[in-house]
Amino acid sequence: MSPKHEARLPLAFITPGSEVRLVALGDEIDPLQREQLTAYGLAESRPIRVLQQKPMTVILADEVELALEHAVARYIWVEKDASPD
Amino acid sequence: MNTSLSPANAILLVGHPNVGKSVLFHRLTGAYVNVSNYPGTTVEVTRANTRFDREAVLLDTPGVLALPSRSDDERATMRALLHENSRCLVQVGDAKNLRRTLTLTALLAELGVPMVLALNMHDEAAARGVTVDISALSEELGIPVLATVATGGEGIGELTGSLANARKPQALLRYDADFEAEIAGMVDAITRLAPHPQLAARGLAILFLGGDSAVADWLRETAGEHFAELEQRCRGAAEHTDGDLPTLLARERTEAADALAASVIQRAVRSSPLLSQRLGQYVVHPVWGVPILLGVLYAVYQFVGVFGATTLVGLLEEDLFEGILNPAFTNFVNATVSQAWLSDLLVGQYGLWTMGMTYALALILPIVTTFFFAFGVLEDSGYLPRLTVIANRLFALIGLNGRAVLPMVLGLGCVTMATLTTRILHSPRERMITIFLLALAIPCSAQLGVVLGMLGGVSFTAVLVWALAMVAILLLSGFLAAKLIPGRRIPLVTELPPMRLPIIGNVLKKTGGRLKWYLLEVIPLFLLGTFIMYALDKSGGLPAIIEAGEPLVSGWLGLPKEASAAFVMGFLRRDFGATGLFAMAHTLSPIQAVVGMITITLFVPCFASLMMMVKEQGAKVAIGMVAVIVPFAFFVGGLFNILLHAVW
Repeated sequence: MSPKHEARLPLAFITPGSEVRLVALGDEIDPLQREQLTAYGLAESRPIRVLQQKPMTVILADEVELALEHAVARYIWVEKDASPD
Repeated sequence: MNTSLSPANAILLVGHPNVGKSVLFHRLTGAYVNVSNYPGTTVEVTRANTRFDREAVLLDTPGVLALPSRSDDERATMRALLHENSRCLVQVGDAKNLRRTLTLTALLAELGVPMVLALNMHDEAAARGVTVDISALSEELGIPVLATVATGGEGIGELTGSLANARKPQALLRYDADFEAEIAGMVDAITRLAPHPQLAARGLAILFLGGDSAVADWLRETAGEHFAELEQRCRGAAEHTDGDLPTLLARERTEAADALAASVIQRAVRSSPLLSQRLGQYVVHPVWGVPILLGVLYAVYQFVGVFGATTLVGLLEEDLFEGILNPAFTNFVNATVSQAWLSDLLVGQYGLWTMGMTYALALILPIVTTFFFAFGVLEDSGYLPRLTVIANRLFALIGLNGRAVLPMVLGLGCVTMATLTTRILHSPRERMITIFLLALAIPCSAQLGVVLGMLGGVSFTAVLVWALAMVAILLLSGFLAAKLIPGRRIPLVTELPPMRLPIIGNVLKKTGGRLKWYLLEVIPLFLLGTFIMYALDKSGGLPAIIEAGEPLVSGWLGLPKEASAAFVMGFLRRDFGATGLFAMAHTLSPIQAVVGMITITLFVPCFASLMMMVKEQGAKVAIGMVAVIVPFAFFVGGLFNILLHAVW
């Protein structure tokens, strides 16, 4: 278990404008959709910028803008980036 | 699909969705493919001879989010790789997203086919401060790598020139030792039992272990009874692995792609988001998104409903056809044709020219032209995928996710085309519900234009009542369909491509291509429909149908009994039927106009889309849908007749 376990937050809870790092894609996400997210570039320790949370979670990962329903974003575990942008 | 018999002349365009494969295809062949700024436009493999080599055939494959293939469009691409005798692959990648591009390269490289990598949209990458060291990347991969901007034609000459130098790429990674052992075992088995004439056994082994169903099908067919051994080996590999094998293999490819991308990419620090990014965010903004949507809809209404359906139709129908062409043609026919039946067939009430061609060219053509143009602008701007975000909550009510809005909006262009595009949806359940709703409540551009033209002439309230009725019926029917059709809803995950200023030349080309397709499809059907009407009229069948339909059409719907003729026409094409009602607009009250348009909009889809429904869902399901739709259309039309008389 990662020592940073307690710092893990669901992506759906992150304030727009924040930069976070992906920790894990939860098992609650459908396996095919997990593969889809990986294909979009959501891999462990990748930086993610949260653009908005309503009506859906919208993120920027590299130069890919993705919209995720909260049912998915709440099982994407992230940690806040220690280094300022 | 032609398989091993074709000569090695196929060049396959392969890549992620929305990276510009279809634009590149058009540049290299001159052939038109439906191209849009949203993923999933290409759902089938398209082929054409290239401009630069008459012997070569270029294939445009559907975008793959990832391989091994999971979705229908990914399987279509995988089947093309398996069955075409490829001279080389051209991977089209997004220059601003090199990591993702290279993740796919990592797998394609294992197939052992000569490749070229076109890093497209490098202008957008530069605008975002992303610079790729092209020569270093080319050296690492061992294949030609080109920077291109397909929409502007940049780098196309260099790309065609480099095809002669296509090489088998160097592998991007060696997998974990345990995985390599499993792969080696599978390679050995495939080489013995089902060798591919072109593709490397190692690539097939990785895809098969990764759960690629198209590869599994090919191996099953080729290995015959020995497939059981391959299958057993695959199961064994999964059992030996601590975790999900396809996921772990994909993760290692991603890591390799990450490492290579990091070594050849440079990012300049950008102080603020680009204007296109800010605009893209406003469009899906929780507050501004809906007003922007309403503004877009109003602009489309003004352009198609007012300019196309009123101004242009007025010019063409009243001034050109009724004023000049039809009298001249009628005089000519009457002067030269002695047989009354023949002149009546050409220029009579149900004449091929005075009805069929006049409907197709004077009433429908200006409407579909303006619609296709407006739609093309929206497609290329990148607005439509953002619409999926706005529509998601609404579509959740009917058991779908916002992705279903894409076929539905496409359906406003052409229901037939949209029915095919439902393949972008992830589950059979979503596809079935969406196809049903397309057939029931989505009017195609021709019909939409006629509706807007007719009801716009009555009042804005009439348009509003019709539109609200359609949305309410769509939601209610979708809600019921979602309850009746088993399965669960899949939450939305979608990419939002950058907002772009549409290139008018590309929009015009696209509009031209669609109009050509439209005219080829619609004119024969309109002429056939007119001929059937003529034959029914002359044989006494039409008056009999009108009499027989009177209780339903006049009694229940409250329309003049002559409107039965429009519904007979509607069996061939809904817009043909709607045009029939449009032609008698001056005899209808506002309520009759609204009731008529609601009924004909819900009526059976056109013949072509019915055939597409059969293709996508099978005859049984398609006939079942029509059996529900026809009585439902009359039932709802009658209800609105009663309701509107009570309140209007």
